[in-house]
Amino acid sequence: MARTLGTPSDFIGVTWQTLPLALRVVLEARLDGIADKTRDCAMSAHVSIRDLSKRYGAVAAVRGVSLTIARGEIFGLLGPNGAGKTTTLECLVGLREPDAGEIFIGGLDLRRQPAAAKEKIGVAPQSPSLPGRITPREALHLFGSFYRQAVGPGPLLTRFDLTAQADRPVETLSGGQRQRLSLALAFVNQPELVVLDEPTSGLDPQARREIRDEIVRMKGAGHTVLLSTHELAEAEQVCDRIAILDHGRVIATGTPRELVAQAKAPQTVTLVTARRLDPTLLARLAAGAAVTLDGDTARWDTTDAAATLAGLAALLAEHHVGLVDLQMRPASLESVFLRLTAARTSPEGPLS
Amino acid sequence: MKGMVAHLAVSWRLYLRNRMAMAYGYVFPLMFLAVFWVLYRDEAVPLRRHLGELFTVTILGGACFGLPTTLVGEREQGVWRRYRLTPVALGELIASTIAARFGIIVSAGLLQLGVAIAVGMTMPAHPMALAAAFSVATLAFIGLGLLLAMLADTVPAVQALGQCLFLPMLVIGGVAVPIASLPDWAQRLASFFPGRYAVEAMQAATTGNDLSALPLPLAVLAVTGFAAVLAAMKLFRWEHGRSFATLRGKGWLALILAVWVVTGLLAGLRERSAAALAAATAPPVVVADPLSPWKQLTAKDVAGLSFKVPSDYGVVAPFAPEDELPDEALQAQMQQLRDRLPQWEPGRLKVDDLQRVRNLLCVAAVADAAQEPAERYIPGVVLAHLQTIFPKPQLIQMLAWIALHPDDGAVVQDVSALGLTHEVGGPDLVRDRMYFYALKCIIRLTGRLAADPVSPAAAPP
Repeated sequence: MARTLGTPSDFIGVTWQTLPLALRVVLEARLDGIADKTRDCAMSAHVSIRDLSKRYGAVAAVRGVSLTIARGEIFGLLGPNGAGKTTTLECLVGLREPDAGEIFIGGLDLRRQPAAAKEKIGVAPQSPSLPGRITPREALHLFGSFYRQAVGPGPLLTRFDLTAQADRPVETLSGGQRQRLSLALAFVNQPELVVLDEPTSGLDPQARREIRDEIVRMKGAGHTVLLSTHELAEAEQVCDRIAILDHGRVIATGTPRELVAQAKAPQTVTLVTARRLDPTLLARLAAGAAVTLDGDTARWDTTDAAATLAGLAALLAEHHVGLVDLQMRPASLESVFLRLTAARTSPEGPLS
Repeated sequence: MKGMVAHLAVSWRLYLRNRMAMAYGYVFPLMFLAVFWVLYRDEAVPLRRHLGELFTVTILGGACFGLPTTLVGEREQGVWRRYRLTPVALGELIASTIAARFGIIVSAGLLQLGVAIAVGMTMPAHPMALAAAFSVATLAFIGLGLLLAMLADTVPAVQALGQCLFLPMLVIGGVAVPIASLPDWAQRLASFFPGRYAVEAMQAATTGNDLSALPLPLAVLAVTGFAAVLAAMKLFRWEHGRSFATLRGKGWLALILAVWVVTGLLAGLRERSAAALAAATAPPVVVADPLSPWKQLTAKDVAGLSFKVPSDYGVVAPFAPEDELPDEALQAQMQQLRDRLPQWEPGRLKVDDLQRVRNLLCVAAVADAAQEPAERYIPGVVLAHLQTIFPKPQLIQMLAWIALHPDDGAVVQDVSALGLTHEVGGPDLVRDRMYFYALKCIIRLTGRLAADPVSPAAAPP
């Protein structure tokens, strides 16, 4: 399990290794839940992936990935291309048979009972992947017939705003409409777990916002959501927790804020003064960081925001310079992501 | 089950919305019908003798092109990958795919039949048998089509592979070109093409002369189809992008190959061994009159004969119906045969009537064994000549005796005096064919050929 907050022995005062194995396993699971800051009291592990591995010939696409997702959580899977996101998702939804590892969904072993587990999952692939001449209504009816229990096309068409397109061939729909149909199809079986593969890729900003709102509504309706994305801003906005994958491994998990805090990424200071400050003074304030000067505006990065602010206040007072504007922009998830993934130069290299 | 029904309904709807597929499914069969109608317009009843061929072309088009093109196209679009995300079982989707295509092909066949009847074809002799033969053939080729879809990586590959299956069957597999007009090597090869069995079964049910010949081709088709569906399910590919080379379960292809080879060999063997079997099981008889032992045979003995003979339209012992006229070159040769037969020495044998009949039967048997171009028309000429020599009851008795004792007497291998100059491999083959022609003559003389407006049983012109 990918833990961000230390081993269970950090939390309890007993010698961890002396506990019986079974008890350790139980406690580990419980403590993991407690350690999870986004945890709700009613939440329990809904999806759990343990030591998942998958090779394609000589290439190890996924190497020992472990994840737990709580019930009702929106979980984001991030990573550069080739990090193993797609393979992990494909194993989770039963499209690929992993070489090793366990996948449990709502207590069901996906590898042993694939059909039963699939009853609980709704998947929205990147494109709806439907015959061009089928209509949304027919598609919803057809896919509904594949499950033991299903919602009729009517309510789904209304919910995903497809009533006007209900009887038009899929090939005539716009990108946004297709994406909404893909989402609607993921909901025909009223799934416990919704898996979205890059739900907003290739959409215009308006359609993007609609899909994002829809994802937040899913959480409200009690669905667990797992999504993969390239869009860091989007992940930051909608996800409760995020796992960053790189070279087939989970290199970090946590809430977006935790990840930012944990990565100790620098913050950017943008300072506008009433008159130009002496560059040597600024350089001293920046403590060695490169300062960009543009007229009255100076910009530099700092890893110690408090010290920078204290130094700046003293400097301005001492030299009687008026402060026009000051911005301290927190590190973005993007910079965290780039730091984390760039630190791993080779597939076999150590974590930063 | 719910999923199967819904998928079946959607498959049909999508087919009806696809103009290209509709053209393939309905317009092409009608074009073939028109071509056959033009080609064979001189025959007494148009199209009747070619319905088996026509139907087989329709089935091949729908099952070996239409089905895999649709399936691989959907696979390329990711439709089947999307299906796999749901709990629906592969068996359900395969069953609905087969059922959908079956309906499409049956509707095309009915359209063809309707138009054929509208332009003057008479009703098939055994509609139920024809329906059964059509169904079995359709299911068998749908199986092969499914397998094709698993072998092909892309839609263009389907077209290429489909042609590899389709063209040989049309040309040397007895589908578009009658088997009887093929060279010897192609006739042997045709046993290995399932198209031939489809033609044989459906033609037999249409012309109605030998329904006893139905079970073998139907069995071959059923086994081939079953093996193909099984292999296709084992090799099933949900996703585009995984090439055939990386597929597991290729060993299942061996199954379908084995079925193919075994049925081909068995079909060849069966035709060969019928005469040997008759010789082995002939009842011992006390010969009262050494020169005319056949005189003791009764109508009951004749009725007890095994009338299991190859199709009149097949490779072995073909027998053209009377109203089927050869082309001009062959007509001249037939006239020459008619003129020379009464003067041919072995046919004028005085002492032994039985041997005289054998000698005359050998004319047809040698022509068949030697692949004479006119082989299918010669038996008719020989039978007509036999009837001018012997009264019908006697002739039937003698023919029955020959059929019961195919290894007795001598065979004539050289019939060059009659203008039939092709050489024959050996006496055994001639004996084989003589046996079949003896039976086929009895079938005609005793009215065992089902009442058929095209080929009446009574022989003399």
